[in-house]
Amino acid sequence: MKKALQIALGIVTSVGGFLEIGSVTTAIQAGAAFGYQLLWALLLGTICLIFLVEMSGRFAAVSKHTIVDATRERFGFPFFFVVLVGMVLVAFMVLVAELGGIGLSLQILTGLGFPWWAIPVSFVVWLLMWKGTFSLIENGVSLLGLVTLSFVVAAVRLHPDWGGVAHGLVPTFPNDQKAKYGFLAVSILGASISPYLMYFYSSGAIEDEWDESYIAVNRAVATLGMSFGGLLSMGVLVTAALALKPNGIHGETFEQAALLMTTAFPKWGLFLFAAAMLVACLGAALEISLAIAYFFAQGFGWSWSQDLVPSKNARFCFTYTIIILVATVPLLLGVDPIKVTMMSMALTAATLPLAIFPFLFLMNDPIYLGEHRNGWVSNSIVAVIIVISFVLALISIPLEIVGG
Amino acid sequence: MDLVRDVLDKKLVDSEHCEMGRVDGLVMSLEEHSQPRITHIQIGGTTLWMRVHPVLGNLAAKLARKWGPRRAEPVRIPWSRVLTAGRDLKLHVKARETGAIDWEIWIARHIIERIPGGGHEEAE
Amino acid sequence: MEINVELLIGTKVRDVNGKSVGRIEEIRVERDEKACLVDAYLIGASALMERLSAWTLVRPIGRFLHSRKLYSLYRVPWQDMDLSDPRHPRLRIAASDLRHAK
Repeated sequence: MKKALQIALGIVTSVGGFLEIGSVTTAIQAGAAFGYQLLWALLLGTICLIFLVEMSGRFAAVSKHTIVDATRERFGFPFFFVVLVGMVLVAFMVLVAELGGIGLSLQILTGLGFPWWAIPVSFVVWLLMWKGTFSLIENGVSLLGLVTLSFVVAAVRLHPDWGGVAHGLVPTFPNDQKAKYGFLAVSILGASISPYLMYFYSSGAIEDEWDESYIAVNRAVATLGMSFGGLLSMGVLVTAALALKPNGIHGETFEQAALLMTTAFPKWGLFLFAAAMLVACLGAALEISLAIAYFFAQGFGWSWSQDLVPSKNARFCFTYTIIILVATVPLLLGVDPIKVTMMSMALTAATLPLAIFPFLFLMNDPIYLGEHRNGWVSNSIVAVIIVISFVLALISIPLEIVGG
Repeated sequence: MDLVRDVLDKKLVDSEHCEMGRVDGLVMSLEEHSQPRITHIQIGGTTLWMRVHPVLGNLAAKLARKWGPRRAEPVRIPWSRVLTAGRDLKLHVKARETGAIDWEIWIARHIIERIPGGGHEEAE
Repeated sequence: MEINVELLIGTKVRDVNGKSVGRIEEIRVERDEKACLVDAYLIGASALMERLSAWTLVRPIGRFLHSRKLYSLYRVPWQDMDLSDPRHPRLRIAASDLRHAK
């Protein structure tokens, strides 16, 4: 039974990682501009994530080390430092966007501008990490995350053309607005395949004390968890295609995006959207803050655990405290979270090789994984993901400039 | 045993299973006509940043002298204290006594404990 | 004399004639109850890796590739290495006398 409940780790990783302000806003814009045509990008992102997350979980369960531990141990400190800088800078930007997303959701619910919410929101996120155990965060966000199912319900209520949906799952080229199409495709992949997901999941596996007996569970959790997130993102895209596109709403601002659910749920649409976004961004903010703090703590060899009292892992707790404090500043200054989101998606895509490339080596390391290291299937998939990540890295910044 | 593969950058654990950082450096003693020996494990920011670039290493040393909770020298643990070297290195020491977790204790006492809910780092 | 091993790793090695041989990639030690003695130095020999070696991101990958036996290393017994100047290690023998590592 305990193992079955581990699905919560999968769902929380998924809700916080897959369904957050970046993926929701890109899915909305994609649906609003191109109908079902970009569903394949979400499908591709989901498949890549299932494999990457399964591998990071397997790595942690078998070796009892996280990916970050192993990156330092295998590649040495100078290499690790380069990866740290790249990953942390981008993750930090995404954190600012997520905290902003919580603020924007509250702005919709209450009418009070999001800069006013910056401090209370940051405080709550910090408090949950300060006082909460890993289980509390994991299970709490998973449960709350179920409200995001409303995206799928909305899509179904609008009676999509299922043939068209199926068609969208296959990559096609658009007739016009090619730069924007490319930009959104890259953004969707950058929003989906976020490295912090892998770091969070592998640390979570250690927090939940997984061992070799969890390998099958890990496979199920990674598959079901990421599929959950993928399905929800597709629900968002389909809803946008049906509700926003016909009305010429582009969904490029949060106010426009918020209209997503009002066609399917005329009375509750706005509230449901805000509630779902609030939970998704909260999950993401927690996950990213923890992922950044885990990165420092594991890389430098500090004690780290959400289950320990803060003074027992002082540097770890100090790290996430500082991160959240600094992340609040741009929001207080009124920086637009949506703009930060779009920039961070492109940067995530650009720095992806830095995370995935070492990962390929680690997943083949016999000292860490023994007989559980990657077979040729998994290695091929990772190789494909690396190629995708290099392509994304090359084209994301130019596309951001041209099509963004 | 290979130093880079099996020792350098590995986690260090003390006799009470307390995490005390990683092997940031190793000291080799070289004498004329005798076999070089590894004498100490070195832990600390200065050692670490030196590996990235000497400029960063010197900067780290300067900052440690001004602001560090203890003396500027990196923490050294004699190799004789190493019990086992598997995936992590187990040491026959108490972390507190080595100075390896001085920063951890300083931050715990001066910052973390002052915030409500922070607990006490010495409590069992 | 004391040497920082972590800074020794990656330094270029020249043979007794001044010819560049590669970089120190690994140090093999023998452990007994009392001490840890250096047995041999492993020097990366692949010319490609040598050229790319200075770049922090590539060397660790090269080291990893060695463990997959994809690029060769020379094994230099401790007696044949002169570390009086740790930043410029020199062999006491010629490059042609080097043996490959297992």
